[in-house]
This record gives sequence, C-alpha cells and structure tokens, in this order.
Amino acid sequence: MTRGEAKRVCTLSWAVLVLLPFALAAPQTDADCLACHEDKELKSETGRAMSVDRAGFEMSIHGQAGISCVDCHLDLRKTKDYPHDSLLNPVSCGECHEAALREFATSIHQKASAEGQARIAVGCKDCHGSHEIRPKDDFDSLTFPLNLPATCEKCHLEAVPSKKGAGFIGGYNRSAHFKALEKSGLTMSANCSHCHGAHNITAVADPGSLVSRKNIIKTCGTCHVGIQKSYLEGVHGLDYVKGIKDVPVCTDCHSEHDILSPEDVNSSVYATKVAQVCSRCHDDLALSRQYGFLTSRLKTYSESFHGTAARFGEIRVANCASCHGYHDIRASSDPKSTIHKNNLPATCGQCHPGASRHFAEGRVHSSPEQVETAKYRASHVVKNVYVIIISVIIVVMVIFIAADFLRRILREEKRG
Amino acid sequence: MDSPPLIRDDEVFLRMNLAERIQHWVLIGTFFLLIITGLPLFFYDVRIFRWLIPSGRSFAVRGVIHRVAALLMIANVIAHVVYTATTHRGRENFKAMIPRWQDVKDAVGLFGYNLGLSRFLYRHGFGRKFFNHRPYWLFENRPLYGRYNFIEKFEYWALAWGTAVMIVSGFFMWNVELSLRLFPLWVHDIFIIVHGYEAILAFLAVIIWHMYNVHLSPEVFPMSKVWLNGKITGRDLRLLHPLEYERILEERRKTLSTEVL
Repeated sequence: MTRGEAKRVCTLSWAVLVLLPFALAAPQTDADCLACHEDKELKSETGRAMSVDRAGFEMSIHGQAGISCVDCHLDLRKTKDYPHDSLLNPVSCGECHEAALREFATSIHQKASAEGQARIAVGCKDCHGSHEIRPKDDFDSLTFPLNLPATCEKCHLEAVPSKKGAGFIGGYNRSAHFKALEKSGLTMSANCSHCHGAHNITAVADPGSLVSRKNIIKTCGTCHVGIQKSYLEGVHGLDYVKGIKDVPVCTDCHSEHDILSPEDVNSSVYATKVAQVCSRCHDDLALSRQYGFLTSRLKTYSESFHGTAARFGEIRVANCASCHGYHDIRASSDPKSTIHKNNLPATCGQCHPGASRHFAEGRVHSSPEQVETAKYRASHVVKNVYVIIISVIIVVMVIFIAADFLRRILREEKRG
Repeated sequence: MDSPPLIRDDEVFLRMNLAERIQHWVLIGTFFLLIITGLPLFFYDVRIFRWLIPSGRSFAVRGVIHRVAALLMIANVIAHVVYTATTHRGRENFKAMIPRWQDVKDAVGLFGYNLGLSRFLYRHGFGRKFFNHRPYWLFENRPLYGRYNFIEKFEYWALAWGTAVMIVSGFFMWNVELSLRLFPLWVHDIFIIVHGYEAILAFLAVIIWHMYNVHLSPEVFPMSKVWLNGKITGRDLRLLHPLEYERILEERRKTLSTEVL
C-alpha cells in the first residue's frame, strides 16, 4: 500500500463513518416524501388532507432555495418507518425566522393562541400559507399587497367579529385605499399591514399599536407626510401633542376602514356631511365647557344659507372646512387662521369675488349670547321684533276672524 | 208708483277688469312659487321640503325658480304701478284705496258689532247715558263700506309694504357681493332675517286673513268669484259695498232727473 493509497482509504473510511448515520436515517429526499404526499387523496386518520402540491412547493421561496421537507418537519429527520407517525410537531418557522418570531410573540394573534382562544389562534401559515409560500413581492404571494386584504379578511370579515360591529372591517373594501390597490394596483396604497403592522399586530387599545391614538398620526403620516405636518400645526394637532384625549385624530373625521376621498358622496367628510362630523364635538355641551369653545355650531350653520343649502345636498356652498380649513384649523385669534378678521376677505373671496373688509364686520353663524359687539347683534334683535310682531298680528287676526265667523253663523241660525 | 229700481239685484257690475284680474293672477302664481321655493330655507328640517327638494341639483333649480318668480312679481308690480298711474280707472281705484280714519272706525265697529258686548250691556241697563250720547260705541249695525273696505285696504297696503321689503332685501341677498361692498356683514344679516320673517308674515297673513275673507267667510263661501270673472251683482254690491252702491244710485238719480228735465 503506497502512502497515497493509505491516505485514500483513510479518507474514505472517515467519510463512511461520518455519513453513515445520515444515510441510515434517511427518508431524506423530498422525492421520498412526495412519493406518498403527492397523492391528492391522501388523508390522515382524522380526515385531514395530507397532500402536498409538488409544483407549488417547488415554485415556493423555500423550494427554490433548496430547503427540503425535513428542514421544516424536523421530527421526520430521524424517522425510518413509513408511514410515519401521523402526529407531527407543528413546524416552527422561528427556527430560521427569528426576528419575525420575536415580533409575533408580542402580537394579538400570538396572545390569542397563548390564552387558548383557539378559535382565533393564528400561526404563520394562516397568513403566509404553508408549502406554497412565495416571497412577499411575488404576485401570487398571500402577503403581496394586492392579496393581503383578502388574506386578512379570510378571518376578519366574518369569523372574527369586530367590537365595532359587523361590516366594520369589510368597510375597507369600499375605501379609497382599497380602490387604489384593486383598480390601479398601487401597492403603496395602505393595506392592512401598512396601518396595523404585520407580525407585531396588537389591539387598538394597546398604546403600542400602530393605530392607537398615540401612534395613529404617525402611522397615517407615514404616507400622508404633508398632512401630518399641517395637522400638527393646527389647534387639534397642538392639543394632540399635549396628550389631550378628546382631540380628533385622523380616524375621528375620516373614519377608519372605509376611508373615502372627500369627493366621494359616501365619505364622512363629503361637502354636505362635514358639518355632522365637526359638530359631533363642536355641538357637545360638555366638551365646549371643558375646552371653552362655542356650541350650537351645527344649528347656527344650518340656519345660514350655506348650511341650509348643504343640508339639501348643495355642494357648492361653504361647509366648515371651506372657511376653517381642515387639517391645520386654527383659532380665529391666530393671525394665520383663515377666519382671522384680516383673512376673512380672502377666505370669503374664494367664492365671493371681490369680497371686501365688510365681510369681517359681523358674526358668522353666531348665537346672540355669543356676540360681544352690540351692533353685530342687530339681526338677532330684528328677528325677535319680527317674532313678536308676527305673533301679535296673527293673534289679532284670528280673534277678529273668529268673532266675525261666529257672529255670522249665529245670525244665520237666528234667521233659520 | 212702482218705478223700476235704478239698480236691479241681478245687474252685473265690473269690479275687477281684465287688466286687474291678470295682475291678481300673476300675483297669486308668483306669490306661491316664491313661498314654495323659499319656505324650505326657513324650515330646512321639515320632511315635506326634503321630499320636495331631494338633491343639491334640485336645490339649485329651486333657487332659479325663486329668482325668476321674483322677477315676474317685480314686473307685475311695475305693470300695476303704471296701470294705476296712467288709467282713469286705476287712479280712481287708488283714490278709493287710500286709508282714511273711517277705516279704523270701521275696523273697531265691525269687531264691536261681532262681539256684541256693548249691545249686551245696553240691554241690561249698563252705561245707558254713555251709549245714548255716543251711539257709535253701541255697534248696533255692521259698518257700511265703500268700494274698498278696511279689510281690503289692509291687505293691499300690507302687500305693498311686504313686497317692497322683500324686493329690497331679496335684491341684496341675490347680489351678496354688491351688498357687502355697500354694507357691513351685520347689515346684510338683517336683510336675510327680514326676508325670511317678512315672508312668514306675508304667508300667514294671506293664509289666514285673505283666505278667510274671500273663501271661508259665510258672506262669500265657498269663494268669491270676482277674481275669476271680475263681476259683482247689484245685490252683492248693495250688501258688501253699500256706500259704493249708494254712490252709483245717486249718480243714476241725477242722470235720470236731468233727463226728465
């Protein structure tokens, strides 16, 4: 035996020694698994479908990466006897996807599973699929932006009722966000995970949630940066930063899932509906006392031509936002406010060309007790005078007529 | 002895000529168009108006109808003024329409008569001396009216006043930019209030006062047809406008006597 031969034998022996246990334990190739599992009729004793779509797996991100069955189904690595035990341990994706697992551990989906609420227990495969998992930028991936809503809605449309009522989540399918996704394929348009997060989804009530009051401005601002900036400059935004709970955030005016363009007639901020939205707070007596703003905003607006016309569906008249602005609404005392008296001619001038300073010499939709300048109350005085005059005239007329009518009737009877 | 009466009961007199009736018809039409298209703004929450004006587009149409009706009414006012000023009949009508102290006395007289309190007191021996000296306050008979009684005069002048107020305030509401170039906002607010409340007043006055006097009043029930055919019979003239009746009678007597002479 030459030196070279000895070396070769040695190497071979090592190789056999090292590889033998693996060779003996092997089912080991995917082909072995698929020999049985490719059968579309294959079922477990409990009747669960056990078939695996070979093509689907081979096209999956794992299949493409050469990851084999036993890399995930770890307890089959050592199995020799086939058919193997029907109860396998669940696949633990976290073995490889550690970061995702960590995030998932804090999520409401994980909590639900841990607390034994089996009905809503959710694992990786419920969102990502199992053997056919595609990369998330693959058109066929369950988590591809265009497909994600349908993936979440598998459970959230009906099976998992929202506290806000049936149809609350389905409202997303009517939203501008979904329209942009579905009609135009704009993948940057907000889908579920843009607002709620993905692995680390938590309940709205959780301060850490992306859609909690604490975070919602930032979350919407991820895309609507300019609006976020403008909101934070307005009275609502300034109070929001102070942590005042009653201040409206994006979703209070725009609604949550069924957010629509303001031009859409069903939008909560459509021209004729803005007044209802604002008056939810601005007609609230308790809030007005607490924060010192005027009440009867809807009533006084409705009494004005603008408000009346809007109630009848006329969209060309001024609504709250036309004069007050929207995201960066400011107090009338703020020189930057659209309703500061120096800016009123410009604000009114948007619709009333050539609006003069006279537009500022009065009070728009005011109750008499809210007007401090005496002459600005003139129209209220005129109104009261009219009410008195009309009442007196009508009462006098009715008495006069009643007397006439009764006298004539009585006389007729006498004659008859 | 029995000469034929100078005015027969079935003789027909012309109370409103065609021009006057047309003015009245146009007034009715425009008045109710204006009311129907205007009231929804005042009662924006009433369901029937929401049914009448179901959308923003119909609301805009409402505005157009309101303005067209207003223009028609103004044209009618102008026609009326021209007619009144330029025709003999118009001037005579106008003279008869001028309010006089007698109208106040008639109004009090009619109410007193209808109430019958003075007569009741007198019959039971109260204030005999007072009533013997001042028989007017006894209200024994209905007041006697001329061509236009105080009721009609009140209607006419209330309408004239109301129309003027509505035209002025409405003009400035229509031309809000012009209005606010001339007046401060608080004055413009008065126009708006006045336009609305004057409309309510006019509407109620017409519904209550005019509808009673030309429809519901047992004198004319179910309806005085003067506004349709313009005719009034000798009998109605004698009963409703006795002083005018007397005047015509007097004229005829004079003509008769001059003829005899």
